Amino acid sequence: MSQDVIFTPLRFRNLTVKNRIFRSNISGKFDNEDGSLTQTRVNWECKFAAGGVGAIISSYVPVLMEGRIIAGYATIHRDDFIPLWERLGAAVHQYGCKYIMQLSHSGRQMDIPGVHNSHRPALSSTSRKESMHGFLCRAASKAEIDQLVAAFAAAAWRAREAGLDGIELHAANGYLFTQFLSSGINDRTDEYGGPLQNRARFLLEVIRAIRARVGRDFHLQVKLSAVDRNNVIPWEKKGNVLADTIQVARWCESEGVDALHVSTGSLFPHPLNPPGDFSFETIATTYDAMISSGVDTFRNFLLFRYRALRPIFRWIWFRMKKGLPVEGVSLEEARAIRASVSVPVLNTGGYQTASFIRAGIESGAFDGVAIARSLVANNDLVRQWAMGRDLPERPCTYCNKCLLNAPKNPMGCYELARFPSREAMVDELMTIYATRPTLNMPPVSAPQVVQAA
Amino acid sequence: MADEAPVTYVESELRRRRRLLLPAVIVLALLVLIGLIAIVLGLAAAKRTSINRPAVYSDIVSHFEHGSIGADQSSGVPFWVWQALPRLFPAEFDGRLDYRAFGFLYRNDAGGRQERLPIGISSRNVEGVDLVWFNCAVCHTGTYRTSEGAQRVMVPGMPSNNLNLYGFIRFILDAGVDERLKPDRLIPAMQQAGANLGPIERQIWRFVVIPRMREGFIERRSRLAPFLAEQQPWGPGRVDTFNPYKLVQMDMLLGAIAPEERHGASDFPSIFNQKPREGMQLHWDGNNSSLAERNLSAALGAGVTPETVDHAAIERVAAWLGDLHPPRSPHQVDPAAAERGRALYMNACASCHGFQAADRYVFEGANLGKVEPNSRLGTDPGRLDSYTEAFRQRQLTELFAGTPFQFRHFVKTDGYANMPLDGLWLRGPYLHNGSVPTLRDLLAPPAARPAAFVRGIDVIDGKNGGFRSPPCTPGTRPAQGICYDTTIPGNGNGGHLFGTTLPPAQKEDLIAYLLTF
Repeated sequence: MSQDVIFTPLRFRNLTVKNRIFRSNISGKFDNEDGSLTQTRVNWECKFAAGGVGAIISSYVPVLMEGRIIAGYATIHRDDFIPLWERLGAAVHQYGCKYIMQLSHSGRQMDIPGVHNSHRPALSSTSRKESMHGFLCRAASKAEIDQLVAAFAAAAWRAREAGLDGIELHAANGYLFTQFLSSGINDRTDEYGGPLQNRARFLLEVIRAIRARVGRDFHLQVKLSAVDRNNVIPWEKKGNVLADTIQVARWCESEGVDALHVSTGSLFPHPLNPPGDFSFETIATTYDAMISSGVDTFRNFLLFRYRALRPIFRWIWFRMKKGLPVEGVSLEEARAIRASVSVPVLNTGGYQTASFIRAGIESGAFDGVAIARSLVANNDLVRQWAMGRDLPERPCTYCNKCLLNAPKNPMGCYELARFPSREAMVDELMTIYATRPTLNMPPVSAPQVVQAA
Repeated sequence: MADEAPVTYVESELRRRRRLLLPAVIVLALLVLIGLIAIVLGLAAAKRTSINRPAVYSDIVSHFEHGSIGADQSSGVPFWVWQALPRLFPAEFDGRLDYRAFGFLYRNDAGGRQERLPIGISSRNVEGVDLVWFNCAVCHTGTYRTSEGAQRVMVPGMPSNNLNLYGFIRFILDAGVDERLKPDRLIPAMQQAGANLGPIERQIWRFVVIPRMREGFIERRSRLAPFLAEQQPWGPGRVDTFNPYKLVQMDMLLGAIAPEERHGASDFPSIFNQKPREGMQLHWDGNNSSLAERNLSAALGAGVTPETVDHAAIERVAAWLGDLHPPRSPHQVDPAAAERGRALYMNACASCHGFQAADRYVFEGANLGKVEPNSRLGTDPGRLDSYTEAFRQRQLTELFAGTPFQFRHFVKTDGYANMPLDGLWLRGPYLHNGSVPTLRDLLAPPAARPAAFVRGIDVIDGKNGGFRSPPCTPGTRPAQGICYDTTIPGNGNGGHLFGTTLPPAQKEDLIAYLLTF
């Protein structure tokens, strides 16, 4: 029997992952307000490690408190958090799973600023408010950019010190790097704005600084949005196109990046990321947690809550999805980028079907996939594939209720239809809070022997 | 308490925006407020301007005396102005607070107090203002007394022998340009008269109602005053029917009225027993044979316009007048003489005038209600000449044109119609212009008829018929009424020579019979 490509190891320059499935960056408000992580996060990550993924990309981890996206997510801004992350890494490693920390800075895309940040505008490339929620921001000065660069380098060093397996720079989906990269957002007139080279300067400086700090032998990958499609709010500019991102990917490669992770969209969430449905009934009950965060949030809340107004947002949100699949929504962009670089390329966007992923890898569209929602729905998705299923028994419906609950409720699957009862759903959601985790799932072996990293 | 600082940057930004937007919000709120006020005022004004509500009376006599025929809407003065005028013009009102100085009549209410509006004045709420003006009864309700000291009796349907319409119209026209009608003086007088005006109401009166009223007065004055100034005062119980009509309804100028047309003053007619008159040649000159048209034309004279006329109200009056009998004559006569007189009358007069039977007047006679050429009658031509063919043409084409009420029956005649003599005892002085004071005088040759006599005394004359009419000197003002001068154009007492040559005894018999009418 020929070897299943999904379960063949993916060898990066500095890291080998046992299979091609990466848990994409996702988590919830599991942690302490000071940014220290909790057992809940350990529990959360171990669910996926136990479920058989080759590597876990952490949820975004702010490198500074002023770069938090949602307060209550663990950060890596202090050296004394290194042991905590070390513990997390060790727990995941028990399952033969790698752990890649996603270093992040919200920039202006700060959903819930928390007590540390609510009193000031977020730093960004621009002083123009964020388009969807009206988050306020201020263009960073050159000195502030230098500090940001240093903060990323320091965070990378902490990740390495914690014994984690690599880092990913979150340069996609509208966060600080995107705010510099995107021609639809970056309105600077200095060396960080204008032509693509200038807009990419901040990202490339961070890569250079990280390499200078952690060396060449620590896994460093960059997550990029292949296409910005920044005009979700119709009068906004469209932003970067695929050719821009291919250029950025090449520059990343030449600065010593080990892999690229291809996503899409210059906002998060974006109609195409995560692809799928939009539950007005859900967001009407959770968006209130964000009303105080921006100057346009109350408007949105009204659009979400009142049925008569919903068609307005429905049009805004769904017009971009027309004709696009949910699974592999940015597959072709990944293929184009992969063809332009020589480092491995991961892709994210609704992956759930083994045969589809297999075909993607075999056709050279990507080297592996990063999955969030399908794994939240079925933590053991990889094991199910290993046992021969193409799709899990109760697949993810792409309802996006997990996403829309994120500002307010614990992360998990909220698709009631997937559970025998509401109690069962809540029980499942609560499993992450176990104080003495009895995660009985055995470490999963791929069909072949996993090579030592 | 100090203003609490905002907790978050978003809140301070929102506060900053609110401060920036505050002027715009205030302006917007003011605009909205102004808009709302405008809408409320507009609705209130619309509601008010849509009001057109006459006072309604279930009792037919009250309807006749006070029911609106639509003249109040087009020609009326506001009730409170009506009430205020006697206070502002004490000289014209003989110092009284009512309109008796002009011969208006008042009934007493159940409590014995004089009613607020005289007979013949209706009231209608138009656009929130009670307007008062004439109805039929103003010209067709008179009084009599059997003797100087006797109780005055009011008779609906009888000519308004007391009403000095000329004097009243002259007064109204002059008041329109009198400074006493300025709001500053009129409003306090209205309030003195009992008007209870709120501050808004007061402004409406000051800036809308009173100016509009004065404008109307001035307009009417500009049309009528030059003409009235040319005419001699009509005297009580008389009106020039068609000349004001030409000036007001037809917008004609004085110069367009030929000199010989200008002397149309005649007596108010009685309006008893209308049903038997249908088909007769109505009006003094018999220019219309349709009761309905005659009524409508008379209503125009009272001040209605084709737009405001209340046909239903007029028809209600007309239906009642159809069978309204005059009160029986109270005169005591020698039955034998009357019987002899009756024989004379049946022989010489009845074919033109009908006759009085024991209990009722009989509307029979070959020439009853027909026009007698004035070449034969020889009475004063003023009234006849005041109605012209040219005027008739305009009546037919301009008034109520295109409606079912369009005039069709008016004709230009060459004489005066032979009138039924029902209620004759209440109809003196006699002839169309009231130029002959008594029946006895009418049977005298013109030269023997009084050249000047007092009109306006309502004591009936049981000997001569008609009312007591002592002789007077033209140009002087008698103690009561006015001195009627038969030498004035239109006032001539010539003609109708029938019976003037009878021997005195037969005249006595004939008078005895006529006193029973």
